[in-house]
Amino acid sequence: MLRNTTARWGTPAQLLHWLIALLIGVQAILGVSGVALPLGMAKLATLARHKSLGITLLALVLVRLLWRVVNPRPALPENLKRYERTLARATHAALYALLIALPVSGWLMSAARGFPVSWFNLVQLPNLVSRNLALYHLLVRVHVALAITLALALALHVAAALKHHFVLHDDTLRRMVPGWAPRDRDASALNKD
Amino acid sequence: MLSARALRVTLPGLILGAATIAHAATPSPTYTLRPAHSSLTYTFTQAGAANQGQFKRFSVRFDPSAGTLVVVIDMRSFDTGDAQRNEVLGGADFFDVAHYPQARFQATRLRKTAGGYLATGPLTLRGVTRVVSVPFTWRLIGTPTHPAGLLDGQTVLKRLDFGLGQGQWRATEWLGNAVTVHFALRLAPAAH
Repeated sequence: MLRNTTARWGTPAQLLHWLIALLIGVQAILGVSGVALPLGMAKLATLARHKSLGITLLALVLVRLLWRVVNPRPALPENLKRYERTLARATHAALYALLIALPVSGWLMSAARGFPVSWFNLVQLPNLVSRNLALYHLLVRVHVALAITLALALALHVAAALKHHFVLHDDTLRRMVPGWAPRDRDASALNKD
Repeated sequence: MLSARALRVTLPGLILGAATIAHAATPSPTYTLRPAHSSLTYTFTQAGAANQGQFKRFSVRFDPSAGTLVVVIDMRSFDTGDAQRNEVLGGADFFDVAHYPQARFQATRLRKTAGGYLATGPLTLRGVTRVVSVPFTWRLIGTPTHPAGLLDGQTVLKRLDFGLGQGQWRATEWLGNAVTVHFALRLAPAAH
């Protein structure tokens, strides 16, 4: 099943979701260890990979957003309270915004430092700003703040997914996992009541 | 040919030989650098992206008719635009400017080519001397009363040939071995 339906996510949407989730984890490890490493070839390599994967993430998120707008979208479960719907929508919007803002701020930050960004040593990206140390220091703070905000939003996102699965016993998590069939609707309705 | 034979001899001999030829054969002047209108830069690959640096202080002596080209670079004058990177590049693993404050190129053979010249001779960088060939163009500008010339060109050097990058910095995946040196030099007849 390629396209989304109003009941579940199609395979491309599912794969993009989990691939992006995996890359966010790898990015966190590369970013934190890259900063911690002493100045040397290992630091250069780690941060270069962090930048390449960040640009990859940016592209994947844009593809995912495009796929989202040209597809039907599974509805939120009907039993959600009004504030829960608002919170769910806000969290999803924040996740998309952060996943665009983080790589863009990193790209700008590298350019402001005077280090052009290359995508896996294959393509050199243009410097969107010229060398400017004050801007670089500002963008470092922005990049870190965005990363922390993303971590908080992800914590909320994961907690909500687990609540849907283990507490509310609905299909919210199941419909994002490739190969997981929706539960029998009547049975889940019984569980809830 | 006289000049060809003279140019094949060793360096001290060359300088004397070149001077002799210049006086004997031609009225062409010896040109020296006009620093304000000249640049000596290099492009290197860091993490897959092209990065630039420059040398701010260097001297050039060029006499096309005598076959003389001498370039001396003050290695402490390098700048890549990033303080942290400059600190590493100036240190023992790269330029090691404390021990090797000067780099020097001296053509021992200056050959006229279709597009300009090819200068071949020893380049000493970080205490390592290797013979390199550098192509360049030479274009006279200025006026009869204020003659000048532009010496432009570029050449690719391998940094590891000169020990630029010791220890962990010998790896070339994230710091390319090839470095392109660009020069755009404005020269004028040396004052007497």
